Amino acid sequence: MTEVALVQKLREGESFALIGKRLERLDALGKVLGLPLYTSDIAPRGALKVKVVRSTIPHALIKRIDIEPAKKVPGVLAVLTASDIPGINEAYALLPDRPLLATTKVRCQGEALAIIAAQDSEAAEEAADKVSVEYDRLPAVTSPVEAMKPDAVRVHESGNVARYLRVRKGDVNEGFRQADVIIENTYETQFQDPTALEPEVGMAWIEKDGSVTCVGSMQTPYYVQTGVAKVLGVSPDKVRVIQATTGGAFGPKSDEMPVDTCAMSALVAQKTGRPAILAYSRHESMIAHTKRHPFVITLKTGAKNDGRLTASEALVVSDTGAYASLGPLVIIRACFHATGPYVIPHVKTDAYCMYTNNTMAGSFRGFGSPQVHFAAECQMDELAKKLDMDPLDLRMKNILRPGTLTATSQLVDEACGLEECARRATEAANWHTKRREFARDRGTFRRGIGIALMYHGNSLGPEGNDYAYVHVVIKPDARVVVRTALTEYGTGAISGLAQITAETLGLPIDLFELDRPDTASCQESGPTVASRVIVIGGRAAQIAAQKLRDKILSVGADLLHCEASSLTIKTGLVGHLQDARRTITFQKVVEECYKRHVSLTETGYYIAPKCDFEPETSQGTTYHQYTYGAVVAEVQVDTELGIVKPLKITVAYDVGRAINPLSLEGQIEGATIQALGYGLMEQLIHVDGIVANPTLGDYYIPTSLDIPDMQTIIVEYPGAVGPFGAKAMGEPPVDLPAAALANAVANATGSRVFELPLTAERVLFAIRKHQ
Amino acid sequence: MRFNVNGKDHALVVESTDRLLDVLRDRLNLKGVKEGCGTGDCGTCTVIMDGGLVNSCLMLAVQAGGRKIITIEGIGTRERPHPIQKTIMKYNAAQCGFCIPAMVLAGKNLLDHNPTPSENEIKQAISGVLCRCTGYYKLIEAIDEAAKELSGAKA
Repeated sequence: MTEVALVQKLREGESFALIGKRLERLDALGKVLGLPLYTSDIAPRGALKVKVVRSTIPHALIKRIDIEPAKKVPGVLAVLTASDIPGINEAYALLPDRPLLATTKVRCQGEALAIIAAQDSEAAEEAADKVSVEYDRLPAVTSPVEAMKPDAVRVHESGNVARYLRVRKGDVNEGFRQADVIIENTYETQFQDPTALEPEVGMAWIEKDGSVTCVGSMQTPYYVQTGVAKVLGVSPDKVRVIQATTGGAFGPKSDEMPVDTCAMSALVAQKTGRPAILAYSRHESMIAHTKRHPFVITLKTGAKNDGRLTASEALVVSDTGAYASLGPLVIIRACFHATGPYVIPHVKTDAYCMYTNNTMAGSFRGFGSPQVHFAAECQMDELAKKLDMDPLDLRMKNILRPGTLTATSQLVDEACGLEECARRATEAANWHTKRREFARDRGTFRRGIGIALMYHGNSLGPEGNDYAYVHVVIKPDARVVVRTALTEYGTGAISGLAQITAETLGLPIDLFELDRPDTASCQESGPTVASRVIVIGGRAAQIAAQKLRDKILSVGADLLHCEASSLTIKTGLVGHLQDARRTITFQKVVEECYKRHVSLTETGYYIAPKCDFEPETSQGTTYHQYTYGAVVAEVQVDTELGIVKPLKITVAYDVGRAINPLSLEGQIEGATIQALGYGLMEQLIHVDGIVANPTLGDYYIPTSLDIPDMQTIIVEYPGAVGPFGAKAMGEPPVDLPAAALANAVANATGSRVFELPLTAERVLFAIRKHQ
Repeated sequence: MRFNVNGKDHALVVESTDRLLDVLRDRLNLKGVKEGCGTGDCGTCTVIMDGGLVNSCLMLAVQAGGRKIITIEGIGTRERPHPIQKTIMKYNAAQCGFCIPAMVLAGKNLLDHNPTPSENEIKQAISGVLCRCTGYYKLIEAIDEAAKELSGAKA
């Protein structure tokens, strides 16, 4: 069936057996019993404990690393430095800028210098303390804006710009000439720590044939395989990587850290012949792993008196820290979404991903989108204030609708539910009534209500080849195994693949099992990032399932003496569409397939079409499908202390098609609260390049006592790419809450905070400044 | 030291510096007890000791001498999960699963002491355990429904 026909069918209310049903995840029982084995739970007895010696200053030449005293600590089996690496000393995600172990220079705090392997953690800690490093300090640059200056300290020889790109649409000067009102503001965002509750951990041992097996907490096993093989100097087929149950990821576990933990463990295993495990402490994790990029965004916006936008000029600068990690891709998404989801005829955006001597930023749920949506949505409210318009009315005048053009001149297709999201979220939140009611608050406690709208290009788009392989095996007992190198790390998306497979095959979900991602049994399937498991992996699962369905129907047709085209599979029975008496169990057909040596193992492969846009102006198709959404936040502000209390968050998302609404709500709620933390409390503070609060006692993430009332509304405008019209939903709900909260605070106090998070100090300072 | 874990008496020789967390995980192989920070901030190492919640990363094993400890391994089975475990499944409130052992214990301990908790009391009871996946909503709903089931069954 063509996509158009499929979408048509969905619109006509085609009913599904499983799609859209609130199903339990396949891994639920094990998880509630505490049974899943995370990496540390399966470390063999006698595994050596690995400890990393890290740089304590942000920028310096390394004069000498003295490991001799560390070697003498009882229980220490090996102390390794860069010279002990048999392969290539590189561990980078994208640009060749990062060694696994530093040799001549450190460029940030937390850079690995040496590896200790010991019998127990105590000996490893003691030895790590005994490694002495002599540095020649260098001046450090710790602001991305400072890093842009021509005379700035150079972090790398090649200069401080890791990536530059731009959008040029129309003539921005002409757009500003047409404007009746122009405003310009600068917005700043912070480092956010992902805080997966399981810190990074990797383990390795040497097999009898000399090959290496790595087990770890990770998103993308094949990235780890490539990285470990390079460091060991062996071919990738000598490295087997298995993803253990992974205790949260949120992006960074697709970047460098799983490579670091597995490669360092593997180096130790190779040197000592013993299994080795490297488990980061929380403190170490918060310094070493990648975080959400801080951004500095200057927006200049022009509009007519009636609110129609005429021009947007943006300077978007991200701080990727000392190593690029995924920063050069994060900046693409940020650049393309910098205007927010609005029709603007004249757009000029310049986006820079900058190196600094701060710790490394990289992938994090949202991938550049929360930062630019914070700026764009605050800017819309500032514009509304200037025009004396309701912020909702201003937005509705300008939002993307089918038939309009995005900032990259991409034609918005029919699968755009932005208007409905905005309407339904504001109706549910009682927008107009509350705007009036809250405006009457007097005294210390003032309430406010704010809105933010978003669009989110789905999957990788311009960020890489967007493909997936999914293997489906029907076993002789008619149970079905779904196996892929795409990984489960909490989202439930892999259970979603089983659901899509079950729907296509016409089988009940309780026949399904999930296999562990393992490079020995799963084909390379691209990274598990960009909310792409359902959208891209789901298509591959459909394809694998369809191949198996054809085989089952063909053998079933033989057994029932009819044409395969006259048969269907429903709830585990293979039956004739017209003649109910001609029915046979799925199990019987499977048995027959095995008798006839018809293979019931199939692989589905799907690759999304390439995105096509002009590189100089970024005009064209930047993504093939978009998720849309609206968030309304209500807050109460203590205007004497500046403390913000969130009261309610109402969200509406155009998800295309809810595959499993229960899991979908879980993603939306979890992302909303992660973003509430981003908006109100989370900030990994760097002071001159040194992380000031790398503990969960000093870096606060929301607890159960911090969450406001929440209402979720699902809107479905089936997209052209995802299975059954599904759109990406793992990340998009993290884009808006901070912006909506900032607008609610501004509504409550009459004063704008231009930085995240909205700490009491900042809110109070803004109020005082305003008075 | 002697102590009772999940209804079973144990006599172990431990170092005076051994953390309760490590003894439970490494000596008794109770891997459902997790370590997320080692500083008492995340709560994933929570166990029930004599009817109260403790962070097993902050306790020395010897401090648990003579006490009764319950870990996730002592709650429910594949065949008969505890009502909280059933409702957490029903709401898909276990995502990455790393905090879930502690959440189940915090929820059970609440219901042991207060069979009809308010929403606020549930929030208070689990506030010592961080969850980064769910935003807590589905966990709170799950505990609330389990409370209703349990108190309904008794009534």
